[in-house]
Amino acid sequence: MQIIFILGIPLALALAALLLRRQKTIGLLNCAGYLLMLVQSVSLLRQIVLSGKTISLFGFICLDSLSAFFILVTAVVSFAAALYSFGYINNDLASARISEKKARAYYLLFNLFCCSMFFVPALDNLGMLWVAIEMTTLVSAFLVGFYNTKHSVEAAWKYIIICSVGIILALLGTILFSYAFSISGISKSLNWSEITPFANTLDKNILKFAFLFILVGYGTKAGFAPMHTWLPDAYSQAVSPISALLSGVLSNAAVYAIFRFGIIVIDGVGIAYFSKLMLLFGVISLVISGGFMLVQKDLKRLLAYSSIEHIGIIAIGLGLASPLALCGALAHIFNHAVTKSLMFFGAGNIVNLYQKHNLNAIRGVLKAMPFTGVMLLLGVFALCGFPPFSLFISEMIILIAAFGANAYLIAGLLLLFLSIVFGAFIYHFGKMLYGNLPKGMAVTGQCLSGKIAFLFLFLLICAPGIGLLFMQKDLIWFVQNLFPR
Amino acid sequence: MQEITLIGILISTCLMVVAKSLLALIRGFRWQSFFLFLATFLIAWKEAQPSLYIIAGLLLVIKVVLIPQLLYKIIKKIKVGQGLGLFVNTQLSLFFVLLFAYLAWDFSSQLIVYGSHAQAGIIAIALFLVLVGFFLMVSRITALAQVVGLLVMENGLFLLASAVSGGMPFFVEIAIFFDVFVSVVIMGSFVYRINKFFTHIDVDKLSHLRG
Repeated sequence: MQIIFILGIPLALALAALLLRRQKTIGLLNCAGYLLMLVQSVSLLRQIVLSGKTISLFGFICLDSLSAFFILVTAVVSFAAALYSFGYINNDLASARISEKKARAYYLLFNLFCCSMFFVPALDNLGMLWVAIEMTTLVSAFLVGFYNTKHSVEAAWKYIIICSVGIILALLGTILFSYAFSISGISKSLNWSEITPFANTLDKNILKFAFLFILVGYGTKAGFAPMHTWLPDAYSQAVSPISALLSGVLSNAAVYAIFRFGIIVIDGVGIAYFSKLMLLFGVISLVISGGFMLVQKDLKRLLAYSSIEHIGIIAIGLGLASPLALCGALAHIFNHAVTKSLMFFGAGNIVNLYQKHNLNAIRGVLKAMPFTGVMLLLGVFALCGFPPFSLFISEMIILIAAFGANAYLIAGLLLLFLSIVFGAFIYHFGKMLYGNLPKGMAVTGQCLSGKIAFLFLFLLICAPGIGLLFMQKDLIWFVQNLFPR
Repeated sequence: MQEITLIGILISTCLMVVAKSLLALIRGFRWQSFFLFLATFLIAWKEAQPSLYIIAGLLLVIKVVLIPQLLYKIIKKIKVGQGLGLFVNTQLSLFFVLLFAYLAWDFSSQLIVYGSHAQAGIIAIALFLVLVGFFLMVSRITALAQVVGLLVMENGLFLLASAVSGGMPFFVEIAIFFDVFVSVVIMGSFVYRINKFFTHIDVDKLSHLRG
């Protein structure tokens, strides 16, 4: 029942953005709608986890605890983004960067984008899953090119072309999966709920090829290096609330797709094949992003590379594939989504005030914007994996799992690059946050909806970090229940 | 009869590879889609499946009529030169295509363990289209050529889907068609914008964002 709300509300809000005239009303409706959705998705997850059953509707929606978890992550980030958008778009209107009509177009695209992302974990059919992910690219391309400048159009073009090629490879993989299933003679279907139970009867050779295409294809969308080249451009040029959605939700939607196929491959081919590939992509992402972050000059690109790094850590967690590591990876998905959203919101405020992205030209953020500055300072430590913030706990779990699986090389590399990234972040943000207030700049506050968005995310950054210490057993139980065997 | 349509697809693909102007490239794409339509129509006729007739009809409307028309309209409006801008000249391109044909054949014979010889042939041609589409995207400079390359890859996947699993489920197929059409429209709108801001549509000069 909740799922109908979750999929219906963004559509209704998109319709409202088309029909209503005042963008402020639309913005407020948006916040209310996404709050309702957040409540619904929490209750959905609760219901599924407690009952231990999957929910299917009309033969085309199927939800297990994994899907419900991803829906929850999407709901959290999109609620925060809706709150932040309200202040952000008002600000843009006041400074005449966009017109009233464009603000309405923003809310329309925002809701369509969120809607397509809510569909991704909810769909049963793997072909429709592909269509939903392709829709996210098409809608968000407009949001990346929203300001219609030379740079943003270039970024949007690269985004749409590279992701389209990636997604075509994913379709090739999906077709091969359906081929493997159709020659096994069980039935002809593309629903994961029907394929997964028979995974071990499928042709191993075809599954291997198919998963390779899926991984490269959806991996492009998730931002695995070396297919990441569109990502820093798109994240840095997109409207700031959209950067948060791209980083916190869109890449997770792609990770969800990879993992959904991965479950079939683990059963069909064996865990070693899946592990090797995920670890490979994870480590490459870590290495490449770590290097780029050290020499970065652009604030939002720095955060974009950090997203690649965290996707790499998630891939490593999934690749280790023990219950503990999976638990760490899932927790990391949630923690990274909330932390990175907070950072992108803060970066959006900075860029709006200083009107530049260049890290070397921004000084004295703490003095110019006390609230945003403090939030960013705490956010930097959270993002680098400091205790007691939640990313520390999830990174720790993944490390423990890596040592437990005797993957010393992986654990060592992870530690090395985490420290490199830590150095890069403290260096760049230290220079930017401290220092004197630039001449002629007034101290600016943050509007109420923005403040709520920041505090909401900050609460979520702290709470699981502390809570996880006490609830580890529950989480492992949850992860073990992800795979009904 | 089916062999003729497949050979038609192969020849039109090679025509696209040696094309030096945008118009010729799109003409090649039109022929390729037309032969793909014929192939699908023949299967529909042989198996007497009404849903396949609908898919063949959609293929005809969207890929043979609408998309090429749209691309022609864009070319007319943005008034850039007709040249494709080749990173790789046509002779060398043909050699690459030969290599792709071999690779596709090799891969498909590895993949198909239970299938018939004819099926392996269709799969080889489908993978060949995917490779050639990708090759067109990276070896041609104009933004529109990238769009066409993407469409060629998509055509290849369509052929692959109908060869290996008797097509995807009906509504998935419809959704994919819709999706392809929308994506071409959106990419077209971005080509306009690129032309507006940069006064060209050469993707090798889109290099403001780095590092």
